[in-house]
Amino acid sequence: MSYLNLIERLRIPTYDNEEYATTGRVRIDHEKCNGCGMCAMICPGNALYIAGEGKNKKAYLEKDFPQCMSCNNCAAICERDAIIVNVTYDFGYFYKILHRGEMKPPRKF
Amino acid sequence: MAEKENKKTPDVQNWNSVEKVIFERRSVRKYRDKQVPENLIRRVLEAGRFAPSAGNCQPWKFIVLRDKEMINEMERDVIRLCKVFKFLMDWRRPGLIGKIAWLNAQVSIRLMPNKLHPIPFGAISLIADGKLGVFHGAPTIIFILKDRRGVGNPDLDCGICGQNMVLAAYSLGLSTCWIGFAILLAYGPKWKRRLGIGFPYELVEGICIGYPVGNPNGIIPRETHEIDWYEHGEKKTMF
Ligand SMILES: Cc1cc2nc3c(=O)[nH]c(=O)nc-3n(C[C@H](O)[C@H](O)[C@H](O)COP(=O)(O)O)c2cc1C
Ligand code: SF4
Ligand code: SF4
Repeated sequence: MSYLNLIERLRIPTYDNEEYATTGRVRIDHEKCNGCGMCAMICPGNALYIAGEGKNKKAYLEKDFPQCMSCNNCAAICERDAIIVNVTYDFGYFYKILHRGEMKPPRKF
Repeated sequence: MAEKENKKTPDVQNWNSVEKVIFERRSVRKYRDKQVPENLIRRVLEAGRFAPSAGNCQPWKFIVLRDKEMINEMERDVIRLCKVFKFLMDWRRPGLIGKIAWLNAQVSIRLMPNKLHPIPFGAISLIADGKLGVFHGAPTIIFILKDRRGVGNPDLDCGICGQNMVLAAYSLGLSTCWIGFAILLAYGPKWKRRLGIGFPYELVEGICIGYPVGNPNGIIPRETHEIDWYEHGEKKTMF
């Protein structure tokens, strides 16, 4: 894998612009989710919200630039195994993520 | 220790007790309104005291805060400072103010690329808008001060010391969160004076400790990182 080229080193991405920054994203299984709100409560990026009434009360990821840092704290607190990070965050240029692979739970070798 | 059956790894791996603590610990940002007994905090501090440090220089000093009024006041002051930073650097505003803020941000980010990495940059706005807490309602906070005269790289020693405490706390059924934003308190004279922070000490991090709401701990997936491995005259790359 490569490092940063000179242009990337000098260029600071514009944070609130989807062109230069991929925020983390979560996949929410609305079959399992009961809208308990624990994930939204624990989320450090304020990236989740609860909407709907009664049986349709569910968690959603903010549409407009969710500040998700793919910490998976929502996955850890969810009792119903309904939410998990499926896209990790990456900022462009100077802050781009290097030398990482896919997400995995701790492995036993 | 907090027990929760781990649903993410169905073939429940039997980790040893240290691995279990390391893998299950999560940062917690919502605490019950219940003070942690003094002896448990003392046990956590003992774990910090026995951290390794360069040249055994132990370049740390702890401040324990358990006074609700004081913590609330600190929270308010950090929020106020975040509002100032947001005002100076948030360029998502129209007109000249937005342009000046954009310039401020571009210069500041280059001067402080770590402190103003996109994640804390975003967090400053969240804290200013009241969408992210600072001390998260925790009943106890430990400040780690660094002795600037330490051997080599005393910041690193303080980090190791703090992680000892965080892991010890989890093993005692407590939850924690590192509070990097605590250092904003040391940007002005008020809290330095009130907490008696002066040379050779410098505030490096805060850790908040308490009993969590719900069960926020558990094993989760994280990114793998590329590892270069040299052996038998060959280089292997693995994840
Ligand atoms: C040095 C340091 C400073 C941190 N500062 C903050 C902070 O100011 N506020 C916060 O909510 N979390 C803070 N965190 C917590 C991180 O966001 C958290 O460790 C990270 O998202 C990984 O999640 P985990 O601890 O649950 O594994 C800090 C962590 C570290 C190590
Ligand atoms: S914690 Fe789980 S069940 Fe509760 S709202 Fe979030 S995703 Fe849904
Ligand atoms: S991964 Fe972390 S930041 Fe992203 S939605 Fe879940 S709790 Fe929030």
